[in-house]
Amino acid sequence: MAGIKALISLSFGGAIGLMFLMLGCALPVYNTYWPLFVLFFYTLCPVPYCVARRVLDDTDSASNACKELAIFLTTGIVVSAFGLPVIFARAAVIAWGACALVLAGNSIIFTSILGFFLVFGSNDDFTWQQW
Amino acid sequence: MSGFLDSIRCGDCECNVDWGEKRNTIASVAAGVLFFTGWWIIIDAAVKYPDQDNFNHAYHACGVIATVAFLMINAVSNGQVRGDSYSEGCLGQTGARVWLFIGFMLAFGSLIASMWILFGGFVVPQKAVVYPGIAVFFQNAFIFFGGLVFKFGRTEDLWQ
Repeated sequence: MAGIKALISLSFGGAIGLMFLMLGCALPVYNTYWPLFVLFFYTLCPVPYCVARRVLDDTDSASNACKELAIFLTTGIVVSAFGLPVIFARAAVIAWGACALVLAGNSIIFTSILGFFLVFGSNDDFTWQQW
Repeated sequence: MSGFLDSIRCGDCECNVDWGEKRNTIASVAAGVLFFTGWWIIIDAAVKYPDQDNFNHAYHACGVIATVAFLMINAVSNGQVRGDSYSEGCLGQTGARVWLFIGFMLAFGSLIASMWILFGGFVVPQKAVVYPGIAVFFQNAFIFFGGLVFKFGRTEDLWQ
């Protein structure tokens, strides 16, 4: 177990990312809440990998079609979370400055989620945890 | 103050990452980026030019067929086509080969169709807005290459 410091720094990263997202929406010069749709992608992002981890035995580590499909879908969700603000900005629904703030928030949040899985994910006794 | 940079180590990461073992993960990530970037390109074109005159909605069929082809190609493993997997599956080895054949035909067909749409539908008639044609072409190119990377970038060796 990696400990409390990693957990606190990851949650700080998550808070900073959400702060950027909210800045992109709530600043008076922007004042539009369409970018909050990326929250949908944030919540959906860990789901494929967690489903694959629960379903599989994880004994044969090298080749695993289900895990790779989960990684493929997770990458798709991440790309979608970056694509959506760009499309909003190109359609002039939000300003480009708001788009830049949302993209910065995206990067930080996804880095935090990735860090969470790297640090806390590879648990040897994963199968005995009560989810 | 003197020597305060002495203790900085550059490149001392010692990241003992076995890149060979990560090949499947890297291929999956690359394929995911390519495939979904293709779809977001066409979503962007559809949002910018929603009317039928600038972007004929029938052109969406090309990307849909390319996605179906992606799913078909990646539904069968190389082991089933070669005949050296444990179970025969629903179709057997010959069925797997026919399935893969049809999948690749659809994939190549949609790639060629996207080029045809770009040149026949946008460049030759000298339409005022060419971007939807370029978007259709890039969507299908990205989906095609994403399919190739996902199919051939991953190794199926259980023990390396």
